[in-house]
Amino acid sequence: MPSAASHVILAVDDSASMRQMVRYTLESAGYSVVQAADGVEALELARTRSVDLVLTDVNMPRMDGLTLVRELRALETYKFTPMLVLTTESGQEMKQRGKQAGATGWIVKPFHPDQLLATIAKLI
Amino acid sequence: MCTSAESMVVRDEAREPAPSDWTPEQQIAHMLELCEAQMESALAESDEAVNALIRSFTGLAEATRELRSSIAALPPHLREPVESRLNDSLAAIQDDMTSAVVAFQFYDKLTQRLGHVRYSLTSLAMFVCNREQANAREQWQRLFTALRRLYRTQEEREIFELMMQGVAAPEVPAAAGQDHDAAAAARAGEVELF
Repeated sequence: MPSAASHVILAVDDSASMRQMVRYTLESAGYSVVQAADGVEALELARTRSVDLVLTDVNMPRMDGLTLVRELRALETYKFTPMLVLTTESGQEMKQRGKQAGATGWIVKPFHPDQLLATIAKLI
Repeated sequence: MCTSAESMVVRDEAREPAPSDWTPEQQIAHMLELCEAQMESALAESDEAVNALIRSFTGLAEATRELRSSIAALPPHLREPVESRLNDSLAAIQDDMTSAVVAFQFYDKLTQRLGHVRYSLTSLAMFVCNREQANAREQWQRLFTALRRLYRTQEEREIFELMMQGVAAPEVPAAAGQDHDAAAAARAGEVELF
């Protein structure tokens, strides 16, 4: 079974402090983390290197998280990659939109590190 | 303020308003702008403080990681007598850092919500400057609908609904009650896999 260290996670959030918290949590568990501040940057990154899981916020400038998920799903290499949405949005309607866009799951901020890691461990 | 359709702010006039320029709408817009400026200033100050805290947090995380590696690299005769005690201390630090990760996210959420309040104030300042618009009931309805669309969290939406039902602002926390807090706490970290 591959270890966490061999897995790369793309964390996307326009808040620098959120990116920092996600990075700390994931790196503490041994994952490698690449970061992007919005959907456009994330999409560029994902095209130039492969990642094992995407963790994205929804409301971001330039390109929102649901559009990012949709764009990534359209790429052959990301058809089956787990994509988690991490957001303050907790409404069913938004979750439904996330599901339709191709997200694998939905996590409401603020996340608890243990819960986030347990969820990721189920997926990769 | 209300002298331009593009912008509410005419600072020179604000310093020395000509008597003919004085309108209640202009004063309301000015007051809203003052609230916005105060909020902006307080947020900028808090951001600096929180960024400093995050830097400290990152430094602490790095130091903890190094300490863990150093303990692991010690020869057994030095490591074994202290290992258990040091690991307990490191675990306690780790627990505190986990709590900090959650706490920092609440600040992020606060910033987001205050950003919505700030946008609402700006929208209202522009809105009241147009007297015809401000006198039309359906235009107010449109404004409220537009502002509601801003909200991202369930808490914001609940407060909006309570206010629309006529609950006075100071009574909103009590009206939302413990259920509101409990529901918000339950939603935090909620995970749903599709």
